[in-house]
Amino acid sequence: MPADLSMKILIVDDMVTMRRIVTNVLKQLGFSNIDEAENGQDGLQKLKAGKYDFVVSDWNMPVMTGIDMLRAIRADEQLKAIPVLMVTAEAQQKNLVEAVQAGVSNYIVKPFTAETMQEKLAKIFK
Amino acid sequence: MKKRGHKLYEELGDLARFVENAMKTISNVGPQIVSSSQQLPTASSHLSDLNKMTEEGTLEVMRLTELLQDEHGHIGKELRAVIEVLQTMDCAKLAERLENINALLGQEGKHLTEIMTALSFQDLVAQRVKKLVSIIDEVQQRLMELVVVFGLQQSGDKAVTDGTAGHLLKQLEESKTTAMKQKVADDILAQFGFK
Repeated sequence: MPADLSMKILIVDDMVTMRRIVTNVLKQLGFSNIDEAENGQDGLQKLKAGKYDFVVSDWNMPVMTGIDMLRAIRADEQLKAIPVLMVTAEAQQKNLVEAVQAGVSNYIVKPFTAETMQEKLAKIFK
Repeated sequence: MKKRGHKLYEELGDLARFVENAMKTISNVGPQIVSSSQQLPTASSHLSDLNKMTEEGTLEVMRLTELLQDEHGHIGKELRAVIEVLQTMDCAKLAERLENINALLGQEGKHLTEIMTALSFQDLVAQRVKKLVSIIDEVQQRLMELVVVFGLQQSGDKAVTDGTAGHLLKQLEESKTTAMKQKVADDILAQFGFK
């Protein structure tokens, strides 16, 4: 099943520049229903309040990290099925393993290209 | 027993001399420690300014890139409409040339997206700077502990501006006020008759 271009996407990142980059890339790929959150806690609140189909999250964030938010999503009956893509500078093998164990859907290392984002989306929504 | 007591006495004597020498060394570097601990918050503040400046610069490049992307989108739509009209009018050659221009626009659109993603350097720089700031804060805290533990005397405000590091920090501090925004400069020039 290819990604639905009308699906509701949540971008979680503490850096305004990264949120804007990810939003821009997703818009170039045809997605338009995009929302943003500044950290894991903010993201989790938005996920619980509204229906989202896909989450793109950073790892290192204040208040609540991306990996903690991912664990909270997977532990929540209502949210656990939402695909979560991590876009992060944490490029060590142990980080990737930790993310996989926490239930990440895929993982992009910064800096990334639009092609990489497209490729990961295709893998998540194949 | 007496021999062992003598040995212990010698060991204690050595230890006392070692501690005394260490105290002397620390009191000699005291002014530098005090000076460094005073300069570190300034260095930390300049690093944070660096983050803010790269963020502002990056956001401006993003704004302009997004404007270009929007304009590309509109031009692409217009071209597509013209091509369709030309095709119905049987102007195949002209339509083909416009198709080529449209393909070129598409290629440029990809480059604009690449510019956007390349700007993620700002996030990576900001993360490194944040780590540096936390290291500096930690070092400053440790230095302050030394100052308190060993009762080092403050050498006054002079210490802040002493030495190469102090001089550089002073220059940086001054550049904050001397770096003028172009608009302010233009306004002032205009008051003096520059058009």
